[in-house]
Amino acid sequence: MPDLSIPQHILDQIVSHARELAPFECCGLLAGVNKTVTHLYRITNIVAVEGAEKLSTFDDDKVAHLERLSPEERAEIAFVMDMQDFSAAKKDIRKNGLDLQVVYHSHPKDPARPSHTDIKIATDYEEIWQRINLPIPAYLLVSLMHSPAADIRTYWITGGAVRPADVHIV
Amino acid sequence: MIKVRIPTPLRPLTKGQGEVESAAANIVDMIGSLDATYPGLKNRLCDEKGDLRRFVNIYVNEEDIRFLNGKDTSLKDGDEVSIVPAIAGG
Ligand SMILES: [Zn+2]
Repeated sequence: MPDLSIPQHILDQIVSHARELAPFECCGLLAGVNKTVTHLYRITNIVAVEGAEKLSTFDDDKVAHLERLSPEERAEIAFVMDMQDFSAAKKDIRKNGLDLQVVYHSHPKDPARPSHTDIKIATDYEEIWQRINLPIPAYLLVSLMHSPAADIRTYWITGGAVRPADVHIV
Repeated sequence: MIKVRIPTPLRPLTKGQGEVESAAANIVDMIGSLDATYPGLKNRLCDEKGDLRRFVNIYVNEEDIRFLNGKDTSLKDGDEVSIVPAIAGG
């Protein structure tokens, strides 16, 4: 039994989102029932909003790096989810009786594997999910580094360790 | 008392504490009184108009204050407040 089943049309929507926003990173959520994804929620990447880099769990090196860049350039190497969008998505997920299953984002110029920053933040977030009454999601990455081909990979990130998720495409 | 959970990026402002207490009657007052003890906290959480910044959420007992009364959401003894930074990555 796979960890998750994701319909091809949802994967296509993720790739479209990534291409629309490139060279900036896109981000969003997938939700569904019984380990099958049914819904995609695009979330605005607000890393360019002043102060966003400070309240995210970026480490000091990443903050220093981000602060050397212009706001536009920041969105090429990082994402911060707009929590207004996140709240709206969470509300819709609940209204439809779905579970949050996946957090996705794009790597316009890097491979489809979690960066050091991705792993750190996912690890910091582990304790937060249960506090906000959500399960720990899988993390899906889409890489456009070999565009026009898109590489999609999904992982579990727990305790600072990364392992591939067993995803069945339906 | 109300328990307030502080996320990692704000702990430098709370002397490293992951949990602090408040006796405030609502979210605005809670942020104000925490800011008096831990200066700079309010600026991280709220914009110039006092509205919650888009890269942070506050939950009262697992409920998002954006679905309650926002910053006017009332608090009572025994409530648990979580300040949650935006999901992010690189
Ligand atoms: Zn990443």
